[in-house]
Amino acid sequence: MDWGYVESNVDLIVSKLVEHLYLSIVPILVALVLAIVIGALAVRFPKSYPPILALSSAFYTVPSLALFVILPGIIGTQILDPVNVIIALTIYSLSLLVRNVVDGLRVTSADVRQSALSMGYTRTRQLWSVELPIAMPLIFAGLRVATVANISMVSVGALIGVGGLGELMTDGFQRNYLAPLLVGLVLSVALALVADVVIVTLQRWLTPWARLARQA
Amino acid sequence: MTLLDALIDFLSDPDSWSGSRGIPARIVEHLYYTFAALAAAFALAFPVGLLIGHTGRGALLAINIGNAARAVPTFGVLILVVLLAGIGFLPVLVALVIIGIPPILTSTYAGIREVEGATVSAARGMGMTERSMLFSVELPIALPTVIAGLRSATLQVVSTATIAAYVSLGGLGRFVIDGLGQRDYGEMAGGAVIVAVLAILLDVMWVLLARAVVSPGVSGRLRRTPRARPDDEDRTDQHGTDESHAQHETAAGSA
Amino acid sequence: MIEFDHVSKQYDDGTLAVDDLSLVAGNGQITVFVGPSGCGKTTSLRMINRTIPVTSGSIRVDGEDIAATDAVQLRRRIGYVIQHAGLFPHRTVVDNIATVPHLLGWDKKRSRSVALELMDRVGLDPVLAKRYPAQLSGGQQQRVGVARALAADPPMLLMDEPFSAVDPIVREQLQDEFLRLQHELGKTIVFVTHDIDEAIKLGDKVAVMQVGGTLAQFASPAELLSHPSSDFVAEFIGRDRGYRGLSFVSAEGLPVHESSTVPVGASEDDVRRAAGGAAHVLVLDTDQHPVGWAPVNGRTAVVPERLLDVGTTFTAEQSLRAALDGALASPTGEAVCVDADGRFVGVVNHAEIAEHLTTHRPRRAEGQAAG
Repeated sequence: MDWGYVESNVDLIVSKLVEHLYLSIVPILVALVLAIVIGALAVRFPKSYPPILALSSAFYTVPSLALFVILPGIIGTQILDPVNVIIALTIYSLSLLVRNVVDGLRVTSADVRQSALSMGYTRTRQLWSVELPIAMPLIFAGLRVATVANISMVSVGALIGVGGLGELMTDGFQRNYLAPLLVGLVLSVALALVADVVIVTLQRWLTPWARLARQA
Repeated sequence: MTLLDALIDFLSDPDSWSGSRGIPARIVEHLYYTFAALAAAFALAFPVGLLIGHTGRGALLAINIGNAARAVPTFGVLILVVLLAGIGFLPVLVALVIIGIPPILTSTYAGIREVEGATVSAARGMGMTERSMLFSVELPIALPTVIAGLRSATLQVVSTATIAAYVSLGGLGRFVIDGLGQRDYGEMAGGAVIVAVLAILLDVMWVLLARAVVSPGVSGRLRRTPRARPDDEDRTDQHGTDESHAQHETAAGSA
Repeated sequence: MIEFDHVSKQYDDGTLAVDDLSLVAGNGQITVFVGPSGCGKTTSLRMINRTIPVTSGSIRVDGEDIAATDAVQLRRRIGYVIQHAGLFPHRTVVDNIATVPHLLGWDKKRSRSVALELMDRVGLDPVLAKRYPAQLSGGQQQRVGVARALAADPPMLLMDEPFSAVDPIVREQLQDEFLRLQHELGKTIVFVTHDIDEAIKLGDKVAVMQVGGTLAQFASPAELLSHPSSDFVAEFIGRDRGYRGLSFVSAEGLPVHESSTVPVGASEDDVRRAAGGAAHVLVLDTDQHPVGWAPVNGRTAVVPERLLDVGTTFTAEQSLRAALDGALASPTGEAVCVDADGRFVGVVNHAEIAEHLTTHRPRRAEGQAAG
């Protein structure tokens, strides 16, 4: 491992790291919001769920590289535009999260629903104040997987020139040079682990009841 | 010309379908990579999942291994192994196995854990050995979940096998990479679409296999009576018995 | 009050869940709907707060047709308790109780203090306030459920099998506390149960429903026990309704008579003298509380350890059932009557109770078969 590489390329490394973070997080946030909306609709209109599920599964099967490349053709952006990566990753994250949101919303038991209805909750308020909080453990579980998956997939974007840390990896491959590859790899893993810890901490903070239930 | 036209051009060109670089050949290569990786991942993850699920020990370790494996960027691993061991099938195998392990591990573990305590106690009480319990009671009941994990793993592996092409190997990724180099969008789209179709077919294969192998008593296809009333204005949804790949994976991973 | 006016509920597939139900649940009373599965009792309850829509007929709450009221507002005015409590798992006990006040827009402080007060009222330890439902026992969860229903001080309560999911000992405690609470609060309550004993114990009036959603009888528990209006009702009430009916007759008229007693420490001779031919004598302590029965042919002085257990005692305020039970449980066949402070008043034996019953039994309608 050539530490000299690190010393002389700190700026590059940091900028790639930041780019990587940005490219991973934005899709997750957008996908989360969309997933909640779509998931809520799917629960409200159960017949719409199978087609939604099929559609999202279909997207999931398309390999990420292919999607990065085909999207420009479909939506008319330039190939080298980071937007492609963001949109593609949003679609992937969405496919994953919709399932979790729907399963999560279904966790609320019939008794709790009946109570909420009878106490005078409006439908919307019930969704926000009761069903969604109860769904959080499952949604967070999905967030963890989606975030880590995104961080891994962003690297592939290097093949179309937009890849954050992936660009360090391709650099290493092309020059047969281990150092940039290792830096890219290690940072990517570190990023994923940190993100995971952050999400878990957030989950523990927001859903204290879930942990207690397990202990009780 | 639009992307769709380019795609159709590519698919309708007889050259695309012939020879060692044709679609059928690439499909075979792709399937080889996929199944080799799945078999290896299964061989590693399944026994561990069974053990952890049955004994209940080491769950934390398994879950963390699963999470850590997901944190590893496939692309990076691929390149790393190539740099260390040279170009060949090994880097692809390693990278794909790392992808395949988490879903199989977590779904096996979760599936066995979900078997009702009462059932397990009854089996033990009847004098079954631990091994016999595991294979004739717990595993058959856990089968839908395990197969769901296999489905999920297959999906991810098939999809990711495309990157094998980056390190000069074959498979359907070849069309994507070559097409990228020559700006032939039809070829790239062709590669992508065929992978997607392949993935769907493999998924269907798993569903059929599940139907053949999973006991009807477990699959929930036989229901005794329809749901009873009374209920409220908005009938609560019946929770489907579909295998939900991400859910089981993630539910187990949220411990 | 809650009025059912020819209310029916028919589902899309044709099943008739409630068939032409008409009755009035009076103010400040507990009206119990009881019947077997499928009789429409829960459906009727849920029609009151419009969580199930009425197919025909109307329900009026305090004179106002519920169809003309906004459903959400209506529900916020009616307390609701369900089996298994249906507590929100993601909120603490205190926040669960404060749910409706919160919905009504009360300020947080007021909601919380009302919640804590209610916890005390339903017998919950304040230390449970910050806990989550998953950490509570079934009985505790039910109490939270009741507290939650009472939080906004609604004039009416709907209760759907609230005590059915707990074990019998806890259930009896909850029932007794519920009656005490109702005595303090005087709410108008509609209560659903499948347990006829619970209905008889708790109800001021009981509506017995049968499969198909028809009302079989609507009467007070005593009336129900003594004059069931049909074979179905009689059968549903069960075999020992005669005996259970005794719970509703006061023990006041019983010919309780004095008997000689001896204090603790009395000698053999005292005992024989006091007995005057009987096989046992009642022993009292210095406060005149019955301690036990002393056998006459005992060889030693009277000590508490050598006495036969008194069994259950009864007071004149209690029912004939308590008195008869006392006589049956007593080793001597004599029930011991005490006053409100537990002091000995007199005894009465089962023959005398039976004699009293024949002369004081509620008259049977002519033509009705003897039970």
